Amino acid sequence: MEITLNHYLILSAVLFTIGLIGALTRRHIIIMLVCLEIMLNAANLNLIAFWHFGPNPILLHGPLFTLFTIAIAATEAALGLALVLAIYRHFKTVDLEQVQDLKE
Amino acid sequence: MTVAFYIMAAIAVLGAVMAIALRNVVHAVFSVLLFFSALAGLFILLLAEFIAVVQVLVYIGSVGILMLFAIMLTTKVTGDPTRKLLSRGWAWGGLVSGALLLAFLVPLITQSKSESNSQLSNFNPSVKDLGLTLMDPYFASVGVIALLLTAGLIAAVVAASSASGE
Repeated sequence: MEITLNHYLILSAVLFTIGLIGALTRRHIIIMLVCLEIMLNAANLNLIAFWHFGPNPILLHGPLFTLFTIAIAATEAALGLALVLAIYRHFKTVDLEQVQDLKE
Repeated sequence: MTVAFYIMAAIAVLGAVMAIALRNVVHAVFSVLLFFSALAGLFILLLAEFIAVVQVLVYIGSVGILMLFAIMLTTKVTGDPTRKLLSRGWAWGGLVSGALLLAFLVPLITQSKSESNSQLSNFNPSVKDLGLTLMDPYFASVGVIALLLTAGLIAAVVAASSASGE
């Protein structure tokens, strides 16, 4: 059986949902950031698959948009982990349930 | 091609599931690195080699190391069995995620016709084409991304250092 666009879309939907489940159910703050990265990667896979099977791949829209998404995701990871350090210094915990408000 | 897709997809799903299921945080980060490398393989299958290289450099190279350093700087790495794993409203979160997965999958499975012919075999997209396209119509976007990266770097330094200065 040949691999079609639907295979990639189903895989991407499953990966996105795994990331969403992790982000909504785990309480460790670093695991939540990891799940955000999983969801962004699933969206990147979607963009590349649409470009590959799309009508006009010579325009290279898929790789360009994915490049911009990766840059934004890297910025988000750096800033998010810096905020994790700031929250840990302030609250002495990485448990999101114990971080109820932003100031004490 | 088909076998490679299924192997990569299985590794990606396994890595993602292990990343959200493991109790030890360091093991979770290493399994998400497995997920990133499987996704790089999928990008190569889709003929986007440059994106695969960028994926390896940015995600496996820097984001993974950044996460490991964040774990080392915050908490004990060994999973504490008394610590709770799930948040308070975890059942609602799982319910919403399952409903969303169903809403994604039902149109994909019921739709019979699917694009299987790829026009990419007719030409060979090179890194040179990508660079030229990036410089000609997308120059403003590259500038905005450069500004965003600089602002993000400064903001990360400020956010990580101001709390200890007090």
